[in-house]
Amino acid sequence: MSQGIDLQGSFVELLTQFGLPAGVAKAMWLPLPMTLILLAATVSIFVTVWLERKISAAAQQRIGPEFAGPLGTLQAAADGIKLLFKEDIVPAKADTILFTLGPALVVIPVFLSLLIIPFGQNLVITDIGVGIFLWIALSSITPIGLLMSGYSSNNKYSLLGGLRAAAQSISYEIPLALAVLAIVLMSNSLSTIDIVEQQSGYGILGWNVWRQPVGFLIFWIAALAECERLPFDLPEAEEELVAGYQTEYTGMKFGLFYVGSYVNLVLSALIFSILYLGGWESPISVDLLSGLFGVSETTPWLQVITAAIGIVMTVVKAYLLVFLAVLLRWTVPRVRIDQLLDLGWKFLLPVALVNLLLTAALKITFPVAFGG
Amino acid sequence: MLNFLKQVGDYAKESVQAAKYIGQGLSVTFDHMRRRPVTVQYPYEKVIPSERYRGRIHFEFDKCISCEVCVRVCPINLPVVDWEFDKASKKKTLNHYSIDFGVCIFCGNCVEYCPTNCLSMTEEYEMAAYDRHELNYDNVAMGRLPYKVTQDPMVTPLREYAYLPKGVTDPHDLPAGSRRAGKLPQELLEEAESATSNADS
Amino acid sequence: MTLAEGVQLVLFGLLAALVIGTALGVVLLSNIVYSAFLLGGVFLSISGLYVLLNAGFVAAAQILIYVGAVNVLILFGIMLVNKSQPFTPVRRGWIRLIATGGVCLGLFALLSTMILGTSWQLSTETPVGDGATVLIGMHFFSDFLLPFELASVLLLMALVGAIILARREFVPDEPPTDAISDALKLPERPRELVPAGREGSESPE
Repeated sequence: MSQGIDLQGSFVELLTQFGLPAGVAKAMWLPLPMTLILLAATVSIFVTVWLERKISAAAQQRIGPEFAGPLGTLQAAADGIKLLFKEDIVPAKADTILFTLGPALVVIPVFLSLLIIPFGQNLVITDIGVGIFLWIALSSITPIGLLMSGYSSNNKYSLLGGLRAAAQSISYEIPLALAVLAIVLMSNSLSTIDIVEQQSGYGILGWNVWRQPVGFLIFWIAALAECERLPFDLPEAEEELVAGYQTEYTGMKFGLFYVGSYVNLVLSALIFSILYLGGWESPISVDLLSGLFGVSETTPWLQVITAAIGIVMTVVKAYLLVFLAVLLRWTVPRVRIDQLLDLGWKFLLPVALVNLLLTAALKITFPVAFGG
Repeated sequence: MLNFLKQVGDYAKESVQAAKYIGQGLSVTFDHMRRRPVTVQYPYEKVIPSERYRGRIHFEFDKCISCEVCVRVCPINLPVVDWEFDKASKKKTLNHYSIDFGVCIFCGNCVEYCPTNCLSMTEEYEMAAYDRHELNYDNVAMGRLPYKVTQDPMVTPLREYAYLPKGVTDPHDLPAGSRRAGKLPQELLEEAESATSNADS
Repeated sequence: MTLAEGVQLVLFGLLAALVIGTALGVVLLSNIVYSAFLLGGVFLSISGLYVLLNAGFVAAAQILIYVGAVNVLILFGIMLVNKSQPFTPVRRGWIRLIATGGVCLGLFALLSTMILGTSWQLSTETPVGDGATVLIGMHFFSDFLLPFELASVLLLMALVGAIILARREFVPDEPPTDAISDALKLPERPRELVPAGREGSESPE
């Protein structure tokens, strides 16, 4: 399956034509998609922060940011610049090394996970075999950073927040992984590309939402909990814990937490759209339309259009989910810590297990519909 | 076994119900998104204070007879009345009068009991200062009249809820001359007067 | 030597230094929290070594299980145990230190001679790379079935034990008097077993 445009291949070919050895050409290619994705992630933070503020304002019948840039679009940039220029304070009795290391440990795994997000057939940094498993593994590093920053702040609220974050993260990792496992079971692969491929061909009808209605809900709840979004934002519950593990942080260290949480939200939405909403597939399959109009799949302009549609589709789906998350934020009240763990262990875990077993059974019974 | 199945069924039913309630809540939140913002964009828009608004107190120096009633009715004896007894005219002459608005609770007792009506409430509420001692207004400061919201060219004046026409909740873009719901105080007064004159005649 | 090999060599050196450094830190530092965090560093660097060995699945599993679960649990344990005791220097503590050092050095020497003495047979098969996930699964359900199932039984036992410990809500105020007969019982205030049905729990009348 090597249809669509192969940017890497053409880039390497171009450089080798200029007389560079193939290895050097490939090494020169490597930083390009990484920088691009980093840039895209940064832009996505701006968009998400703006969306969050505007949607929150609309849900509360306010206007929201208005004066920083047109419609307040530059508000996030203003916030970022403010954080950048703020004094970086380390509390007197805090553990300086751990205090500095904590935010970095929270942010790095999130950005690393962007490696596996495909925006099209060949529009992905690496199509590694462990794919989605890498995301689950990397997101399990984050609680260590949270524990670290909570412990090193020398503040009881920070410590409590860090402990809560770690407990919540561990608890919801399991239903999340089980929901992903059911998808993996159906697509016979951990690779994100294969998972999307398996949903392609039938437009909106082929998406995994219809085959995994329960897993879909479990994944969304668990992903919200992993991102510490509002119904589950126990670790930074303002009324109880000031701001949890972020309490003692200022300046760019706080900014890193901020960036991390928003990138994590976008990442979860992207992965959700890949797992359940068909990734870069549009609701009406492009292949079908091109077949209808009798255009060959290998036509260059069609390939460019397909790639563009793929990127737009992935981003639109992800931002729809971000919108849903923001809407949920102002709808559902925060749960208590015991309710949170009850929901995770006594409801989501058994349901996810049953869902996994059901999927396995259905896969054996109906190999056509559930990926034989 | 049946008992257990029933328990599972009840649990599932409760879960579905909870999901339904969350869905209803989401639809409420979603519905709010298409409503016009209710907030007043403060420095550019301002609500017209109501006719009985109790803002900063206005003081007329010439009317004051230094009787100190305002001090006595004040919950914390706040007004400072500095007077001298003029032996020639056998009257008190007022030198200074001041109220510290950082301490005043704007209860309006002084205004109510002032025998010469030299104290009155204004609609001014923007009294921010960099130093709390700047809030201690003397008779000159208290003699100033506030700037009216309706006359400020920089500000869009907005009516409060009670002053909007019946059924209207949005103070923006009201048609010119639209009346508030119910009767105006002067109309009530006129009615009462005409009623009494009718009764007299 | 191509570019890729050079990068691999440098990375191996870095990762090996990281593993050794962080492991020494785990053992030698007196602050137990630092030790726990450095343990996470050890696990992470080892998973980096796995990546170098072209075993991506094992590397991800290493991170998920050791960093995400084991290390977080250790940190959790350390931070939830709220027992601060003053550090009292042990008399003749140096004897213990020297003895530990000696034992460790002996073990190190023993292992080194063993490693150097063994003639390692390098497999000539090409590494499977991304196909490893399937291969590992195959092995789990064929020739490694017994250890796999035994491990799951062990985990189940641990799970049941944890549930029994965690469900014990009523700890009696006084310890039981007859210690011999209750040796195998956990101290617990006697309570009625809750019947499974909803009606059952509502019918004390």
